[in-house]
Amino acid sequence: MPQTLNTREANLFRTVIRHYEDKQYKRGLKAAEQILKKNPKHGDTMSMKALIMNAQGKTEEAFALAKEALTIDMKSHICWHVYGILYRTNKNFDEAIKAYKFALKLEPDSHQIQRDLAILQVQIRDYPGYVQSRFVMLKARPHLRQNWTALAIAYHLEGNLAQAENILSTYEKSMTSTPLKTDFENSEAVLYKNSIIAERGDIERALEHLETEAKNSLDRLAVMELRARYSAQLGKKTEAAKAYRALLDRNPEHPDYYKGVIEALELPEGDEVALKAVYDEYAGKLPRCDAARRLPLDFLTGDGFRTAAKAYLTLMFDKGVPSTFANLKHLYSDSFKRDVMPVLAEEYLDERKGSLDGNEQANSDSSKGVGAALYFLAQHYNYFLSRDLAKAMEYVDRAVELDINNVDFHMTKARIYKHQDDTQKASLAMDHARSLDTRDRYINSKAAKYQLRNNENEKALTTLGLFTRAETVGGPLADLVDMQCIWFLTEDGEAWQRRGNYGLALKRYHTIFNIFDIWQEDQFDFHSFSLRKGQIRAYVDMVRWEDQLREHPFYFRAALDAVKLYLLMHDKPPGANGVNGVDGSKVNGEDSAEKKKALKKAKKEAQKAEREAAEKAAKQDPNKASAQKSKDAEDVKKKDDDPNGLKLAATSDPLGDAMKFLGPMLQLSPKNIDGQIAGFDVYLRRKKYLLALKCLKAALLLDEDHPRVKEQAAQLRSTLDPIFDSLAPKVQEIIKSEFTAPRL
Amino acid sequence: MDIRLLRPSDIPLIQHANLENLPENYFLKYYLYHALSWPQLSYVAVDVTRPRKSPYDYPKIVGYVLAKMEEEPSDGVQHGHITSLSVMRTHRRLGIAEKLMRQSQQAMVETFGAHYVSLHVRVSNNAAIHLYRDTLGFTNEKTEAKYYADGEDAYCMKLDLRFIREQLLESQAEENGGEAEEEGKEKANDEKSKDNGGHADEGEAVGDVGRDPAKSSSSKKTEGEKVKVKVGRGLGVGELVERVVTKQS
Repeated sequence: MPQTLNTREANLFRTVIRHYEDKQYKRGLKAAEQILKKNPKHGDTMSMKALIMNAQGKTEEAFALAKEALTIDMKSHICWHVYGILYRTNKNFDEAIKAYKFALKLEPDSHQIQRDLAILQVQIRDYPGYVQSRFVMLKARPHLRQNWTALAIAYHLEGNLAQAENILSTYEKSMTSTPLKTDFENSEAVLYKNSIIAERGDIERALEHLETEAKNSLDRLAVMELRARYSAQLGKKTEAAKAYRALLDRNPEHPDYYKGVIEALELPEGDEVALKAVYDEYAGKLPRCDAARRLPLDFLTGDGFRTAAKAYLTLMFDKGVPSTFANLKHLYSDSFKRDVMPVLAEEYLDERKGSLDGNEQANSDSSKGVGAALYFLAQHYNYFLSRDLAKAMEYVDRAVELDINNVDFHMTKARIYKHQDDTQKASLAMDHARSLDTRDRYINSKAAKYQLRNNENEKALTTLGLFTRAETVGGPLADLVDMQCIWFLTEDGEAWQRRGNYGLALKRYHTIFNIFDIWQEDQFDFHSFSLRKGQIRAYVDMVRWEDQLREHPFYFRAALDAVKLYLLMHDKPPGANGVNGVDGSKVNGEDSAEKKKALKKAKKEAQKAEREAAEKAAKQDPNKASAQKSKDAEDVKKKDDDPNGLKLAATSDPLGDAMKFLGPMLQLSPKNIDGQIAGFDVYLRRKKYLLALKCLKAALLLDEDHPRVKEQAAQLRSTLDPIFDSLAPKVQEIIKSEFTAPRL
Repeated sequence: MDIRLLRPSDIPLIQHANLENLPENYFLKYYLYHALSWPQLSYVAVDVTRPRKSPYDYPKIVGYVLAKMEEEPSDGVQHGHITSLSVMRTHRRLGIAEKLMRQSQQAMVETFGAHYVSLHVRVSNNAAIHLYRDTLGFTNEKTEAKYYADGEDAYCMKLDLRFIREQLLESQAEENGGEAEEEGKEKANDEKSKDNGGHADEGEAVGDVGRDPAKSSSSKKTEGEKVKVKVGRGLGVGELVERVVTKQS
């Protein structure tokens, strides 16, 4: 039987909760101990104690205690609630939901438990469950607009658009006074409703609603864009043209707006003069506008293109815009344009030669004029569609001659070396560029990247360390991990892999995987936060993006690296002379000596950093204050017991480990052929023939001429033929009907 | 290059741009916090010309401005704040930073009624100081010693956004024609009650402004007069804004 507390201890219990909420864990524990001294079998206190221990990172003890509390007091909603929270913080959402539901059964009116349940339901995308929870919450507190909006969101996410709109309208009808124009929540709710009407496909009604209800919304840009879009969709050409022009007045650097005007004007396709006139109007009145000058180069042809391109290049070279090539290289898919560009740049140089004598150039900015044109030409001959690396080098050397200290010129030189596959020279050249401007992190990042491409992991980390936060415990690496620096982790992992250090390579890939976990978890707080803020459309956008999170190339690249490495480890398990995590074919002595050194250094750094840790709290970028705080909390929790990935590399089931990376690749990036190819390789080795076949078929659909895919088809055939009769009849049947593709 | 509003899906590459360019870095969640609290205020410059490598390519971010409203302004005046602004070295001199800032400033006023925008900049960052001071019109309020983690001082800079408020009232008056009187008054009143907790003594001044757009709408009949009216209206609002600010500071 549960014990009941006397007044003094009941008060003490409340302070336990308060201390927990304020993250005063030590005090909380102390108070809990006081209660338990007199009431050792008080389930609620035991649960609270477990909750605090969990927050301190003592997960296992916390679970044990919470379970004990439950056996003592099965009927306590607090015990069940805490049990759910423990599961939730340890990311077992299904069990957490079960526990919350038990708690709710015992205490049906608890708003807090209901809210926790609802948030978890939307987090795991249990939309029917979420609708139900939000419905209950609305019934309990119908006076709060938030609750109506939340139910509408739930229906919306569930795909029930009509009901979502209905809920929003019901609330609107119940409003007794007209909301103020500065009522942001109202302004946003109206626009949210408008977006639902449009999503239902009723554009006409959406436009009408926009013009009557949302016209004075505080989000003026949204209203203007929707007006333009709806008008265009409804074929209201005059209105659409006007609306897109209004948008261009506001932001003439957004190409879609020009497109909108052009479509609305119904200009005949290929009428370059008429099309260009649209852009010229804006170029004429906006001297600093880039888009109006650059975009016509996309559709102009022949002499029209030549003239416009010449004018544009001259302007850019005179100004010394370093991104000129980057902004034009997409034109190179057209061979005429590709061939004209260097001619125009040469013309520019010739014209300059006559008039300048190089004198003016000498005392002015080298990135302008001649320098800019040479820089452009160097990039031109360095680009894969117009590559002539010898020429590229010639131009960049001429540019360097002009100004030996120009960072951009040296950066391009490094890129040319890279394309010559000389990673050593590339790394040196980029580091030289870096040394010319040591206060710029961009060039620092590039130098580090090139060092990594040259397998100089340690050097790269030192380079990056010039800009990472000095006071982070664990040095530059820890800072880069904390700050979720994906590019570094990927490049570092790939370099370690090339060096044969599979442990560290896997470590980096897993770190990236974990960062994506964090990014997915990050949305958790916003399920309630966004309702308070009232920014509903942005929230819905976020939810939909999070659903696709791991389709990001950041994920794909690291995951593919990991899968390929696991395949390699499966095919060539480390031999007798292979040390844990280090490929035996590499020079072992050097690597392990290196590792020892690195370990020692890391230990030293950690000690030093710890000494400084106290100081650090005081001097914080206020921008980062909140972020830093939660990081500190994490620091307490996590002690990495495998910093060098030795355990990862020692796996006995590399293919099983690969599955974790493979799943999201196949699920979210099915149209990426490299994923399907890797999937096939894993499934075939795991003897999952139907899944291998599925990957093969997907790959064939994407590119049936891909050499690797053809190979795999043959491989599957030769694997299946000898064992075919031993397969289950059902499997045989499917293979017979589905495996028809390879024309061998 | 395309300048447009930030979307949540841009965030990984915004974070990437930030890590590549600047020493002040943030968790992804901090970007989300901006994107979901003030989605109207943050803008990105996107390189739309890059050939796609896969169907899952995300547009490359070459510049961004991450902006917010000060949640509890110490001076009690609604204002915006620039959390982070950066343009890739390879994409400089196209005026991207300026264009990003202007879009953000516009929305700060329109959506959140900002009176000014503030930011911090390293005292050694001459290029950025030039942009803020000479191009955008910021003024240096004060120096904050050792603001940055590496010990460098920051200038705390400010830009009064009344010029945008004035333009906004003008264009609203033009758009709404006859409704202008009511519109203007209501808007001004709302702003007042937000800023001052509705102190009654501000009533008259606000009323003045409320009338101003009305004047213009009645005299808007001829094209020639329009220009003149614009000036008059602008001044009216300007005075009011100044009064409000000085009262509070």
